[in-house]
Amino acid sequence: MKTEAPISAIVSFWLLTALFAVGFSALAVRLKEEQVDLAAEHLREMDSQSFRLVQTTGLRGRIFDRHGIPLAVNRLSRSIVVNPEAYRAVKKGDTTEALLMAAISELVPVVGRAPSVGEAGMRRHLRQALARPLVVWRDVSDEELARFSERSMDFPGFDCVADAERLYPQGRVAAHVVGRVGRDRFPTDSGDEKMNFVDKELCGREGIELQYDDYLRGMPGRERLLVDARGFATSRSVVVEPQNGFDLTLTLDLRLQRAAERQLRGWRGACVALDPRDGAVRVLASSPAFDPNDCVPIFRSEVYERYAKDPEKPLLNRATAGTYAPGSTYKPITALAGLRTGHGAAETYECTGAYEIGEMRIRCTRTWGHGELDLAHAMRESCNPYFCALGVSSGTNALVSVSRMFGLGARTGIDFPTDAAGVVPDAAWKASRSADQKWRLGDLAQMSIGQGQLLATPLQMARVAAALGTGALAVPHLNAALSPDLRPLPLPADHLAAVRRGMRLVVEGGTGRLAGEGVDARVIGKTGTAQVGMGATLRKNTWFIAYAEPTATSRTQEPLALAMVVENGESGGGTTAPMVAAVLRAFYNGEGAQ
Amino acid sequence: MKGFLLRFNWVSFLSMLALVAIGALVLASAGAARESAVMAAKWKEMLWTAAFGLVLYFALALVDYRIVLDWLSAPAYAFSLLLLVAVLAVGTVQFGGRRWLWFFQPSEISKLCVIAFVAQLFGGGVERFRGQFGFRGLVVAAAAAGVPCVLILLEPDLGTALTLVPAVLVMLLAAGVWRKGLVALLAVGCVCVAALLGAVHEAERPGVSPERRAAILRYVPLREHQVSRVKTFLFPETDRMDSGYNLRQATMTIGSGGLVGKGYRRGECIRRRLLPPMGIMNDFIFCVWAEEMGYLRGSLALLALFALLSVSTAWTAVVAGEGRGRLVALGMATLVFAHVYVNIGMSLGLVPITGLPLPFLSLGRTFLVTVLCGLGLVQSVSLHREEKQ
Repeated sequence: MKTEAPISAIVSFWLLTALFAVGFSALAVRLKEEQVDLAAEHLREMDSQSFRLVQTTGLRGRIFDRHGIPLAVNRLSRSIVVNPEAYRAVKKGDTTEALLMAAISELVPVVGRAPSVGEAGMRRHLRQALARPLVVWRDVSDEELARFSERSMDFPGFDCVADAERLYPQGRVAAHVVGRVGRDRFPTDSGDEKMNFVDKELCGREGIELQYDDYLRGMPGRERLLVDARGFATSRSVVVEPQNGFDLTLTLDLRLQRAAERQLRGWRGACVALDPRDGAVRVLASSPAFDPNDCVPIFRSEVYERYAKDPEKPLLNRATAGTYAPGSTYKPITALAGLRTGHGAAETYECTGAYEIGEMRIRCTRTWGHGELDLAHAMRESCNPYFCALGVSSGTNALVSVSRMFGLGARTGIDFPTDAAGVVPDAAWKASRSADQKWRLGDLAQMSIGQGQLLATPLQMARVAAALGTGALAVPHLNAALSPDLRPLPLPADHLAAVRRGMRLVVEGGTGRLAGEGVDARVIGKTGTAQVGMGATLRKNTWFIAYAEPTATSRTQEPLALAMVVENGESGGGTTAPMVAAVLRAFYNGEGAQ
Repeated sequence: MKGFLLRFNWVSFLSMLALVAIGALVLASAGAARESAVMAAKWKEMLWTAAFGLVLYFALALVDYRIVLDWLSAPAYAFSLLLLVAVLAVGTVQFGGRRWLWFFQPSEISKLCVIAFVAQLFGGGVERFRGQFGFRGLVVAAAAAGVPCVLILLEPDLGTALTLVPAVLVMLLAAGVWRKGLVALLAVGCVCVAALLGAVHEAERPGVSPERRAAILRYVPLREHQVSRVKTFLFPETDRMDSGYNLRQATMTIGSGGLVGKGYRRGECIRRRLLPPMGIMNDFIFCVWAEEMGYLRGSLALLALFALLSVSTAWTAVVAGEGRGRLVALGMATLVFAHVYVNIGMSLGLVPITGLPLPFLSLGRTFLVTVLCGLGLVQSVSLHREEKQ
């Protein structure tokens, strides 16, 4: 064990200085890396931590009928919100969540109703959107707001904000057309900047609200929030103001729509009326209807369940999605197919009360038969054997091709979310349904009178009526700004004239004579009574299609094509024709005008 | 009088004054960011403390340090041990450590007491050990420095232990205490640290099962928060939360200052609370200065002042001409340097995050007074040097 000499002072000084030099240089080099080389990156990181982008929304566009009557508007809705930064936990053991919960539960008796947001939703908000106000009571009433305002001074951070909610001033009227809204988030893809918060905005769920959602919704705006490290907002600035959505004017005639819905009240059924000149939809009624205001501010599940479980199916839009056998309203098409294959309008057929083909026997409405009939009178009496014979003689191809000319078996192309195609059956269609099923003459005979597998929507049949009246097939549309899409039928004018003659006879003393009663217009039409089901479940869906042209004294100088179907009616002529007459009177005579 | 002025270590004194001034400035800025009247006024409190410390500084500087060491080093050392025991018994717990006794932190005071006591023991002041610092010297040194270190580690205050050990080590090396033994001890220490780091590395490696992690950590004498800090040091990228978060935010705050800074009282990271406000007046005070003043005006200027202070303090060892004064100067210089290096280095990921004040800038009256007293003692060495003929 040796004694060692202490290091001399100067050596220890230099050794220590060298150590200091190494240490300070290491710090200086590291600091240069961070403060000079990586400074820009750190600044970027700072900004991304400091700012939150919020996507805001503008007012949703309104919806009007053709005369400017509002169908869907926005109303002021006030909500009580809380800004979480007021409940920033300061003391040890406190949490923002606990402080906020305590304040809310203290406010519950003041406002007088349970919060619109659940505990789980609140927690999620604090976790994900701390910088944003939390909506505690959505859409409060005046009384609730008054009670809250009295005490609001005691509850810092709570505030009343105005928002827009959808209002459907017409209630159930035209509900299926207008549709309904929900709320959802639609983050815009701005590419460079990612949105941190996206407000839930109104969005279309059904009907026109859904069809023209993008148009009605407008352009979102952007707000920039300055937040601290814990995510509380400290200030905000608007980057881009949101743009309100556009207003939409429909072709719908609300007065006529009301008249149609009044006729359908108590029935299940639908009515569609078109301007035959351009396909503008004047009426699109489905009964029963729902009240779209029930889905505001939210479509609560129990309300939805009630609608969904209703056997009357009020949520179903029968006008565009309900497919029915058209029954005798199909006979004009059979007639045109017959004329096209060379049968003359004056050709007669002797009705003996039934038509027999193979094992099938199709009875006529008159048990003992109509006797000798030409086309016009067969239409007038809606003679089944005549049209069975005509259809069978014309052949499936003729029937199918004329049906397709009238747009049956295909979507109409209407600017509406539901647009059922219906069915125009033929051999291939029947084979595709099941391999052992053959297309028989019996099927053809059934199809000739609009029965069997043939299915069409009221919208399609209104279009048929319009095309029969004008000789041109229009794509129906609801948006008044759309230009008409009209295609002439590739059929000779005299064929159409012959069919129209028959349809005039229907109204002038035929099966549909009630349809023209008291209407100040020239009405032609066709009844239809389609049998559905067998035996005990046999039901009749009663139809009427009409085409009307104004007279000199008519209140309006517009033609109108109309189709109406009523489920479980008695007969087309007895049940539906008077309803059609009432709608037509509302249009041409100004009856029931408000 | 002329001799006094010539012997006075102006570089050390002036750089110290400049650092005190910077400390007040940066504390005023950081205090304003805390949004609390108490915190905003802390800089004044620190200035008063500095004034009190300067009185002690001059008192110690003017009295011959030999007298101070002879009379005070042993009782002060004993007293500091007593305080360290007391703080463990009745101290106040704050941030996971039992460090406070009433209004001060005994571990800070003990730094100076240990340095003074070791200088007194090995600087030639105690006849018994003069000239024979062999194995026995090492044992005595180990006891003198080791006992307070263990007590401090028990608080636990890893940072203080981390700065005291190099200071004492430098003093012992300079004093000529059995060098092979010291080197061996140093080697054993390095091996221990390496083993510790290796064990934590093995335990916290991604994809290690919790059972295996627990099995490894059972043999690691670190608390959970210390393990997590070491983990952050080893894997700065994996640990995005907790201590990793602090490190990331601290580096971002420093880096975002850039070359010239954002301007005094305009540090956005601080004011937007991106750096957790709890630490900005203590462990992360350097971040405030670096962000607001930038690289050139802020970081480099501050490093230069600290370099001037430590080197000029160490220079006193050369002029002391006597063992005890030399050891005091070397110990204080190393202590200041270690504090600066560990404090700034931890914000940059060079050192694991430990709670350690930056001299003159961090809030902490005990430490400020301690450092001023220590530098006053060194100034006394400079003033009462043994002139060679």
